[in-house]
Amino acid sequence: MVITSSPFGGQARTRVLLALRLLDESYPRELARVLELPVSGVQMAVRGLERDGLVAGRTAGRMRLVRLNPRYFAREELQRYLLTLAGADAVLQNRVAELRRRPRAAGKPA
Amino acid sequence: MKFTRRSSLRDVAAAVGRALREAGFDAVLTGGACATIYSRGAYVSHDLDFIVRSGGSRAALDAALGGLGFKRVHDRYVHPATTFYVEFPRGPLSIGNDTNIRPVELKIGKITIPALSPTDSCRDRLAAFYHWSDRQSLRSAVDIALRAPVSMTTIRRWSEREGAADKFAEFQAELARRRR
Repeated sequence: MVITSSPFGGQARTRVLLALRLLDESYPRELARVLELPVSGVQMAVRGLERDGLVAGRTAGRMRLVRLNPRYFAREELQRYLLTLAGADAVLQNRVAELRRRPRAAGKPA
Repeated sequence: MKFTRRSSLRDVAAAVGRALREAGFDAVLTGGACATIYSRGAYVSHDLDFIVRSGGSRAALDAALGGLGFKRVHDRYVHPATTFYVEFPRGPLSIGNDTNIRPVELKIGKITIPALSPTDSCRDRLAAFYHWSDRQSLRSAVDIALRAPVSMTTIRRWSEREGAADKFAEFQAELARRRR
């Protein structure tokens, strides 16, 4: 982990935002895996970020999908700032780059 | 050609490409295999996707690949001696909304096969980044741009048409960061 300051009020909150900036959309268990944080900690951070309007969520089946709030008043500035912060975190970048997000045909070997 | 466990993706692509051409198929190598070749192995794929633009029947395809020792399992051709497998995704040859793709003749040893150009292979990876937020593909696109000649102008114009000018800027920034 590279981030030493917590400009968004806590390490977990800041790191969740960084991961969401890179992933676009995610869910707490995936965020916990990528960030190596407990799921409960990620869930708490996400709830707080939703309350603050930085993150917006939607339900898909039993999953809660979250992303940076597209209606946040300073969304573009936030996105730029988070990308700059994420650029300094090579470990996070590597972990995110290991995730396959593009589709794979059914039955195709992983 | 006899495949072994040590056969590279390039070896297999060349042999399959030649067999297809000899059987009268116009088939273009696309997808992850091109990314592996142009990134010089920085990205690893075991999947050789050929888009058939013209040619014969499924039986003719079976015969062409069967001659190399491949057996069809559903829609995939597998070989007992190599982990690489061959598939024929449905066409047309396209990258995002662009269907005007001009393949190049890729030289592998003494064999040439039709394949995506480095620029198109880079665009192909970027399409997954633009539309699926797949950062693995962003990394592959950067790996290609670092190791093969790509036209940034072509990529920029296409990115704008795809509505992804902001993500193209991110690609450029990542490319600059990796060059440092």
